[in-house]
This record gives sequence, structure tokens and C-alpha cells, in this order.
Amino acid sequence: MALRLLVVEDDDHIRTALRWALEDEGYDVAEAGSGEEALQAVAVSAPDLMVVDLMLGSMDGVDVIRQVRRALDVPIIVVSARADTSDIETALDAGADDYVTKPFAVKEITARLRALRRRVGPAAVDHLDEVVLDRDPAAPLVLREARGTVHRGEEQLPLTLTEFRLLCELAAAPGRVFSRQALLERVWQHGFFGDERLVDVHVRRLRTKVERDPSAPRVVVTVRGLGYRLDLQ
Amino acid sequence: MRPGIRAADLRRKGLRARIVLGYAAGTLLVSIVLVCVTFLLARSYLLDQREASLTRQAFADANVLDSRLATAGTEVGDVLDELVPSGGADVVLHSGGSWYSSSLDVGARDVPGELRELVATEPAASAVVDTADGPRLIVGVTLPSADVEFYELAPLTELQQVLSTLAAVLGAGALAATAAGTAFGVWAGRRAVQPLEQVAGAATRIAGGALATRLPATDDPDLVGIVASFNSMVDALAARIERDARFVGDVSHELRSPLTTLVTSVEVLGARREELSPRGREALGMVEGELTRFRRTLDDLLQLARLDGAAVTESAQPVCLATLVRQVLADSDRPAELLRVPADADTTVRGDKTSLERAVRNLLDNADRHAGGPSAVAVERRDGAVLVTVDDAGPGVAAADRERVFERFARGPRAARRSLPGAGLGLAIVAETAARHGGAAWCADGPDGGARFTLSVPAVPS
Repeated sequence: MALRLLVVEDDDHIRTALRWALEDEGYDVAEAGSGEEALQAVAVSAPDLMVVDLMLGSMDGVDVIRQVRRALDVPIIVVSARADTSDIETALDAGADDYVTKPFAVKEITARLRALRRRVGPAAVDHLDEVVLDRDPAAPLVLREARGTVHRGEEQLPLTLTEFRLLCELAAAPGRVFSRQALLERVWQHGFFGDERLVDVHVRRLRTKVERDPSAPRVVVTVRGLGYRLDLQ
Repeated sequence: MRPGIRAADLRRKGLRARIVLGYAAGTLLVSIVLVCVTFLLARSYLLDQREASLTRQAFADANVLDSRLATAGTEVGDVLDELVPSGGADVVLHSGGSWYSSSLDVGARDVPGELRELVATEPAASAVVDTADGPRLIVGVTLPSADVEFYELAPLTELQQVLSTLAAVLGAGALAATAAGTAFGVWAGRRAVQPLEQVAGAATRIAGGALATRLPATDDPDLVGIVASFNSMVDALAARIERDARFVGDVSHELRSPLTTLVTSVEVLGARREELSPRGREALGMVEGELTRFRRTLDDLLQLARLDGAAVTESAQPVCLATLVRQVLADSDRPAELLRVPADADTTVRGDKTSLERAVRNLLDNADRHAGGPSAVAVERRDGAVLVTVDDAGPGVAAADRERVFERFARGPRAARRSLPGAGLGLAIVAETAARHGGAAWCADGPDGGARFTLSVPAVPS
């Protein structure tokens, strides 16, 4: 069955053209011309993927992403006209998984969508059945990759697919330093010239969920000038 | 740049030299005047003193002589021996048509005629004469009762010595004052030029892209105006640059939405190529080609606006240029064998990866457009910089055009025929990227008969 994709874009022409092109790629495309419409569409039937323009008029793309993220772990790609603004960082912080800048070739979007839909990374092999990341006696942090869950004690943490895969990549080799470049290639399948901000923003978001104190991270550690490392506690 | 700086240097030295020279000449003049006045005053005072005392002595001696001569039968010559004037003075007198002298050193020859005339009318007169053994002060009085002209001659050598010592001391003082004045001039010159040097430094930094540079506030009333107008000039300049950059950014942004529609629609059309007639397919191919070119120009414009806007330091990180060039070659489907990198070369620079990648790609694209592709690419470290060189075997670049090709919208002769894409922003981006990183870009003759384009970026010290 075709994946259901929601395109949120206020420019009618771009939206229509994008629908045609994505339908050509085999997606089942729904359209939303405003933030409100988008939230309505999500409420009626949750899409498998979302493409969201940042500038939407009354309700902007960042708000849409934030609202959708509360309920859904759906891969979201942001479409922006400006690559070098803080808007992108804000959108990633709000929960977007990746971004492309206008004008884009549809192939760029579909490649990213495919990367985001991958369930497991190449390094994450199935022997990682259950990894205790933090032996906190009160509420241990446990990653179960095969099941796609992270628990703190009894509570299941609401990680997005991208955050989960980032954690799995790091957990595949605890204590080893991963460069931003390596993580970008493994999790997002970006080439050499991908935007390393993606990694930083997602690590930041991941920390707010898995760390006991996100301002003093101990599980996902920054290695200055090199990248990130996962330390078992 | 270089000659400009050198000229500014000279001017700066000139101003300083003028200040030093002014102070030196001023103190020299003042001390010469002071020395002369002091010397002349002292000399005339000492001479007056000497003359007064000699006159007193002459009167006293003349009185003695007079009283002796009053005694009948006393010869002038006898009395002369009895006169023992103090201070080594000698006596010469003229009596009854004959000259008498108390010493062989002096005589009638030492008494000038003018003095004799003066003595005939005045009670006393004096003059300075040169005798065989140095200058002497001579004072004459007359004894009308005995018809005697009485002259006393005192040597002036002692006075002369005092005066020459005084002259030496004063001269040394004048020299010392001049030296002090010169030293003060050097200090004052440095002080006067210091604010100018600050302005020059700030201007250099601003020209280098640090638009936030301002002169520090001062409470020096002479400088407040300069500092204020300099800073407001930089404010205006920065505002203008920002406005220009924003304008380009806004224009490019406004063009992006329609371009997105176009690109996407043409892609949809491209997927249905078979449904089109041959002419339709041809037209579609043309649209696709022009769209690519349009997109690239827009990207270039945005890149330039970005380079104009922010300094690189914001996004600077260590970048290995050898790896970067290898990656660009791979991404653009070029053979990796093109690249030569010395085995042990550390080619790490600090910079913005994205814009460096763009610059390298533009150099390769440039070789494609004008010379049928690069013939060799090298990355090496030399003299504290990492050099990326792209050689081609094309027609090369005429020496006169080697600077112009780095200007915006400069086009090579072949591109002018519109047969090849490229709006002539590629090399401008290379040059601006290099400048933003503190490096340079240039063009020269290549070893393969074509051109060699070089991008130089300061290396990270190893």
C-alpha cells in the first residue's frame, strides 16, 4: 500500500506541482494549504510522512510541527526558502527531522523521505535486544531496538523515529566517538556536505528525553571538536 | 593593497617628521637667541665692570703721579717705577712730547689716535686694543696741570677666558635644549599620530569585513569630532552593505517560489517525456537546461549575498581541504586520479565547509566551461597556506584578463556565445570565499598549456 504523505504548503502552484511529482514517485498525497488545514488533516487520518513549508501565513510551519509532534511520531521534512536562517534550527528544534531548501528537485525530497522511513540503520544489528543505558536503580533507562522502544522505569519515552535511530547508532558502540559527519551519513544518509546542525539539534532534543539532567548530559556526551559518544551509566 | 599601505606609511612618517623637525628648529632658535643675548649682556657687564675699576685705578694712579710731579725736579720716568698698578696693568704716559711706559710690552704704539683725541676733551676715555700679547683694555685720563696724558692698560685675557667658558657652557646648554626639544617632538609626534594609526587600523579591519569595528569613544575634545564622524560613516556603510545584501537576498528569495513550481512541474513533465512529440521533447530539454542555469545563477547570487553579509568566523570549523576536494570530485563524477596530494601534507584550514566546497566546485566548473575540463587538481601546503590548484589544457587566460575574470558577471570569450551555461559569478564566488577566509584566488599559466587557477586559504598551524 502506498505511503500517505501530507504536503503542507500555502503556495497553490508549488503544492499542486509537488503533489503531481510525489504521486509520480508513488506516494498517496494529501494537500493542506494552511496550518489549520494541516492539523485538521492530521487529526482525521494520520499521515505516514509530512512535507511542511515554514511560511504558511497565519499559523507558521514551526507551530504545525510542534502541534503534530505532540501526538505523532511521523517523519517531517521542512521546506524552506532560506537555508541560512535560524528558522531552520527553530523548526528542527520543534521536531522536524530534516529540511530541504527551495528550489529543490523532487528527487531530493524522496531520497530524504526514504532515509527517514528506514527502520534500522546499517550499524544497528539485531543482537542489540536490550541495552541498559542508565542503571538508575529507581528508573533504569532501557533501549530495546528490535521493539523500537526506550523505557525509563515503567514509562515509555516518546522518541521520534529519527531520535530513536540516532540513539541506536550511538548505542551500537558505547564509548566510541561518532563524528557528526558519520552520524549524518548513517541516520540521514546525507553526503559529505550535509548540514551538521541536524545532528546537533537532534542530539539536543534526544537529551531532553533520555538524560536525567539535560543540562549536564552523561549518557550522550559531546566530545569537543570530534563529535558525540554514548556512555553507559 | 600593498602600494596603498606603503604610501600611507610614508605620509604618516612625513607628518611625524614634520612635527619633530618643528620642535627641533623651534628649540634651537629659541636657545640660540637666549645664548646670544645672555652672552652679550654678560660680556658687556663684565667689560663695564673692568672698565670702571680700571678707570678708578687710573684716576688714583694719575693722582699719585700728579702729586709726585708737583714735587719739583721729579722725573716722570722715576715716578713710573713707583706706580704699581694692580691686576697686571701697565702704564703708558705722554708728557712733554715724550712717551713713557712702565713695561717693555706696551708703548705709544698701543695708544690709538682716536683715544688721544677723546682724552684731550673728556676727563676719561677707554678703548679695547689688540696688543702683541692679547687684547687689552686701555683707559686714558689727562692731567692738565702737568700736561700729561695718562694711560693705563689692563690685559683682558682673564676676561676672555671667562667669556669663552661662558660661551661653551651656553652652547652646550643650547644643544641640550635642542636635543630635549627634538625628543619632545618625537613623543608629541607619536602622540599626534596615534589616533590616526587607530583610524587606519580600524579602517583596515572594516575593509577586511569586520563591519562591527568602531573607534573607541574618547573625551579628547580634539578627537571627539573625528571619532564620531568616523563611526557614523562606518554605521552608514554597514547599513548600506546590509541593505544591499538583504536586497539581493530578498530578490533571490522572491524568485525561489516560482522557480520551485517550475522545477517541480518540469520534473513532472520530464516523467512524461514519451507522451510528447519530438519537438515538444526538444523544447522540454531546453527548458530543463535553462532552469538548471537559472537555478545555479540564483544559488550563486544567494551565495554572494551570504558572503557579503556575515563573516566566516560564525560557521568556521576545521576542514581538511584534501578530503573536501576528493569529495567534490566524487560528487561530480570526476576521476579521483585527477587529484594529487603530497602524502604527508596537512591540508586543514579553518573555514566554512559549504562555501569552500562551492568555491572548489566553481573552479572545476570553470575548467569545464572554458577548457573542456580540468587536467589536474592538486592540494598542497605551502608557506602557511593550503593551495588548491586546478589546471586545464584550454586556451588559457590572457594576462590582461587575469584579474577581471574574478569580477562578478565577467565572462570568458567562449561563454559570450551563450552556448554554455554560467552567468560569470562562479569565479567571483571563489575570490570572495578566499577573501572571507583571509586567503586569495588567482590565475596564471598552467603547466598543461592552459590556465592554472589557485585558491589559497591560510592553513591551521600544525
